[in-house]
Amino acid sequence: MKERIEIRLCGFGGQGIVLMGLVLGEAAVRDGLWAAGSNSYGAQARGSACQSEVVLSRAPVDYPRVLAPDLLVALSQEAYERYVIDLQKEGVAVYDAGLVKPRGGLPQPHIPVDATRTAVEGLSQKQVANMVMLAAVAALTGIVSQKALLGAALDAVPARLREINQRALEAGFRLGESAREGLSYPLPDWTLCEASARADA
Amino acid sequence: MKMRAEEPAKKLMQGNEACAEGAIAAGCRFYAGYPITPSSEIAEVLSYRLPAVGGTFIQMEDEIASLGAVIGASLAGAKAMTATSGPGFSLMQEHIGFACMAEVPCVVVNVMRGGPSTGLPTLPAQGDVQQARWGTHGDHPIIVLTPWSVRECFDLTVRAFNLSEKYRTPVILLMDEVVGHMRENVELPNPEEVEVLDRVKPTVPPEWYIPYEDTPFGVPPMGIFGEGYRYHVTGLLHDVRGFPTLREDEIEPFMRRLFRKIWAHLNDIQQWETYLMEDAETAIVAYGSVARSAMRAVVEAREVGLRMGLLRLITLWPFCRKAVESILDGCKTLIVPEMNLGQISREVKRVAQGRAQVRTVSRVLGRLIKPEEILEAVEGWKA
Repeated sequence: MKERIEIRLCGFGGQGIVLMGLVLGEAAVRDGLWAAGSNSYGAQARGSACQSEVVLSRAPVDYPRVLAPDLLVALSQEAYERYVIDLQKEGVAVYDAGLVKPRGGLPQPHIPVDATRTAVEGLSQKQVANMVMLAAVAALTGIVSQKALLGAALDAVPARLREINQRALEAGFRLGESAREGLSYPLPDWTLCEASARADA
Repeated sequence: MKMRAEEPAKKLMQGNEACAEGAIAAGCRFYAGYPITPSSEIAEVLSYRLPAVGGTFIQMEDEIASLGAVIGASLAGAKAMTATSGPGFSLMQEHIGFACMAEVPCVVVNVMRGGPSTGLPTLPAQGDVQQARWGTHGDHPIIVLTPWSVRECFDLTVRAFNLSEKYRTPVILLMDEVVGHMRENVELPNPEEVEVLDRVKPTVPPEWYIPYEDTPFGVPPMGIFGEGYRYHVTGLLHDVRGFPTLREDEIEPFMRRLFRKIWAHLNDIQQWETYLMEDAETAIVAYGSVARSAMRAVVEAREVGLRMGLLRLITLWPFCRKAVESILDGCKTLIVPEMNLGQISREVKRVAQGRAQVRTVSRVLGRLIKPEEILEAVEGWKA
């Protein structure tokens, strides 16, 4: 069991990376976790590599930033190349199958998810690829519950976009579940434990 | 932030948003400012929160005018604030001095980013620590507070207003980009649970009112323009009636009172916290977001049996001499990590006077110092 889980979501500014981080954080607090998150700064990130980081824990988060992510979620090649070097040795990378070509020879498992293609072909709406990916990650790893993620995501988007986002999340859950079933190796235990050595202030 | 969890709050909030909510809770009803990264969310939130509670939000033409408007609003009875970052904070220095001199309560938030000049707009730093103390010219006291969590952004904004009203002085809330932009679980108190202090108003009729007359507390009651109290407000050194003076027997008493009202109440103004200091041989002295790294460093050091603790400064100015003195008996080494090249470590050295070794861990990389980088300065630490 882990004391804290560090997640970095990255991609191209405009893909909705910051929103992914926000929704993931909101889902985690609905699941009763402590969360701390930061992201690339809006205007600066538009059109270049953009990232959003989330730290989850069962105890209050002391150091609020990601040191070496347990989970890297990449939606663009440039961002993948930039951030994959920080990934924990025991970490896992999840990438968009259509947009990222993973480096060979890395020790960490790399799991493809066809998020953007599903959004474009299955949902006719490229913009929801981020929600497809996020739902797939949740189903794959179980770091947040599907119920919490669905609630957090639908509260984060305008009413007129709820339906399309709900469909995106459901498609993502299915993608994540089938990706999980297809794995020939076990994923790390993402369960969080109470940090025993914490200060009692 | 308590390090042992009660239930985590089911709400995520950003430091800047919490600061804006703190202002509303403290009774702030006037904001004038000019947006600047990384403080803009404070203005953004207040631009819709203030009108909703009957307050006023103005986007001004620049930061000089912003603080000018805030001072005017405060003289007219409103609790008023502005928020900015490095370049804007430089522009505000002149009016910070005016508010000190004319004793006008106001809150100035500076969400620190990398400098000097336009520097690193989106990246964190702690380079304005001495500027917050001495940025405006002339001998003057100042109160500066630094939060380390989202919840504390709320609490210290309230406290900044309370101290500013109580002591009729500008109070600077010195946040940094990490704390301002970070989101974390936060449960804000109900409005009725928030302790709010208001300025003391004169009880005498307007014609008897002497605006700058000394009191045992050192803070004269503040007449409000529009309530019948009219007096002269100036940045020139003034007599008890507010008019410029060149008399020795008026200059020095005024200056001494300006300092006395702050220095005589350090017990009320200064706040700090200690973590695991009881048996500590090495202490980290930290403030703002860097204290979060320091907290992590202490936890990791304890795991390998090193006796380390943390002294976290909440009030940065007036400098918490007593806090540092209190740990000098037990600690042989003090480590001061800062996102600058040594602004508070110099103060710590000044207080330690050689009784403990003071090591500065400076990082000016445009990012938060990592726990590992603090631990590298610890004797006996092996990565």
